[in-house]
Amino acid sequence: MTQQPLGKSIVIWTMVALVLIVLSAPTIVVLGASFTSGNIIQFPPQGFSLQWYAKIALADDLRSAFVRSLAVALICTLISIPVGTLAGIALSKYAIKFERTLQIYLLLPFTIPLIGSGIGLMLLFGEMRILGQIWPVGLACCVINLPFMIWAVMASSASLDPDLELAAANCGAGPISTFFNVTIPGVMPGIISGSLLMFILALNEFLVSLLLTDARTVTLPVQIYNSIRSIITPDLAAISVVFIVCATLVIALLDRLVGLDIFLKSK
Amino acid sequence: MRTYRKAYPLGWRIMDGIEAAVAAVWPRRLSGAVPYVMVLPAVLLVLLLVIGMVQIADQSARVLDTSTFMPSADYRSANYEQIFNSGLYWSILWRSLLGSVIVTVLCLVFAFPYSYLMVRTPSALLRKFLLIALFLPFFIGQVVRAYGWLIILGNQGVVNEVLGLVGVPPMRLLYNYPAVLFGLVQYMIPFAVLMLAPALTAIPEEIESAASSLGANWWRSFVHVVLPMAKPGLIGAGLVVLTLSLTDFAMPAILGGGSQDFIANAIYDQFFRTSDQGMGAALTIILVGIGSLVVGIVFSIFGAGTLAMGRDRK
Repeated sequence: MTQQPLGKSIVIWTMVALVLIVLSAPTIVVLGASFTSGNIIQFPPQGFSLQWYAKIALADDLRSAFVRSLAVALICTLISIPVGTLAGIALSKYAIKFERTLQIYLLLPFTIPLIGSGIGLMLLFGEMRILGQIWPVGLACCVINLPFMIWAVMASSASLDPDLELAAANCGAGPISTFFNVTIPGVMPGIISGSLLMFILALNEFLVSLLLTDARTVTLPVQIYNSIRSIITPDLAAISVVFIVCATLVIALLDRLVGLDIFLKSK
Repeated sequence: MRTYRKAYPLGWRIMDGIEAAVAAVWPRRLSGAVPYVMVLPAVLLVLLLVIGMVQIADQSARVLDTSTFMPSADYRSANYEQIFNSGLYWSILWRSLLGSVIVTVLCLVFAFPYSYLMVRTPSALLRKFLLIALFLPFFIGQVVRAYGWLIILGNQGVVNEVLGLVGVPPMRLLYNYPAVLFGLVQYMIPFAVLMLAPALTAIPEEIESAASSLGANWWRSFVHVVLPMAKPGLIGAGLVVLTLSLTDFAMPAILGGGSQDFIANAIYDQFFRTSDQGMGAALTIILVGIGSLVVGIVFSIFGAGTLAMGRDRK
């Protein structure tokens, strides 16, 4: 941006500043509210204390809900890595018949509304008698976010020079060793960014969890939602900070392992 | 001696074994099928959704018998008729559609300068800051963000307390339509920016310089050069925001407080409050129909934009 006109800079910066405030306000306020020493959430906050963190550390229901959320996110990520990687590589490397149809089909998780996917899976899992367990929730989270994983791998795969694989074959590597020694390392940035995305989205998944869990298998976002409806207390703010910490960790990992700029690259 | 033994390490021998085994069960002449085998697991996973939708379609044609509380065994269209004849569902539908269009327009307007600055700034530090400010709320989840807004906008919330300091009486900022739309815009902006940014990256900066050296001021070069070239990104971002906000559940439920239901909330209530599965299923089918219609119209007019998943055709 060399010597931008003043009017343009003012317009852009005003709008960006507004967006920044609106984006960050809930995070900052939740963080602030979690450290209050009062019994209700007030502004300006009353003093500083860690009492609400001490309280949630002792709350078994919240802790086990968080552990279940972690399990859901882990299952979702473990399923999505092989499935999304194979599909992403296949879609970007090979000319497939009915490619357009397949594209539209694989975008179904995004075009079918979440409430529809959730209720459909609820009916299906109910018929299969697997409701009330954790792993179907992870599977469901994987299905609804799968296009993210495929996109991430495809973006890496498209920038991979096909000559590299030919060179490996030329040096005597069979198709399997070429795949594991050349193709997979080549698309690794996509696999890493895709699986981190899948993990954090599953950890936060609310609506599908709400539909697929019961009182014994409730995940943390659903637990928070259920408590919001009755009364707003600062312990909810403290437990919400767990999500802020997880999000920060994932962002730091993304930045360290692949660089956040990966999301700005054009396909 | 040592170099000789290392020349063909164990790992290679194992790899050779795997190669031989795979070649035995998967002869070379079948290699044309490899890409299809690779996409198969993804196709099967998505099939779960398709089966689920078939189940919903089946349910939607079964009418609840109010005397026995059992769904009817045969197919009837009464659920759909009831929805089309009821003013309640039309108003919910209208509220959702209007809301999602407003949210989409606002999101695109505000996401554009954000992505533009993020893509074009020469400062790596500013770019990283903007990315982190974007990803943090994106990764925190809807419920926590809505909870934050409850604290900010509530009757004893931050905004009302600050207004109180300058003598403005407390206002009801929550549980109304603007609150839901506001929450949705905040929820959707990261999606919009992330869909827009790659499209803006693809626009060479030189083209803008060329426009301005030919005498266009920044507004003209924005309207006539940048905006048309960003079209694929705008379509992708617009579609994602439109469909996600049309079908959203959490924001209307939490920030609307039950008085500002969108279609998804009506569906949930039918399944879990009224326990009329058929009615809820019929509503779901209508929502899926509207969603697909919107996506189909946009795709056929503008193309798939940045949503395309195929290879780049060179």
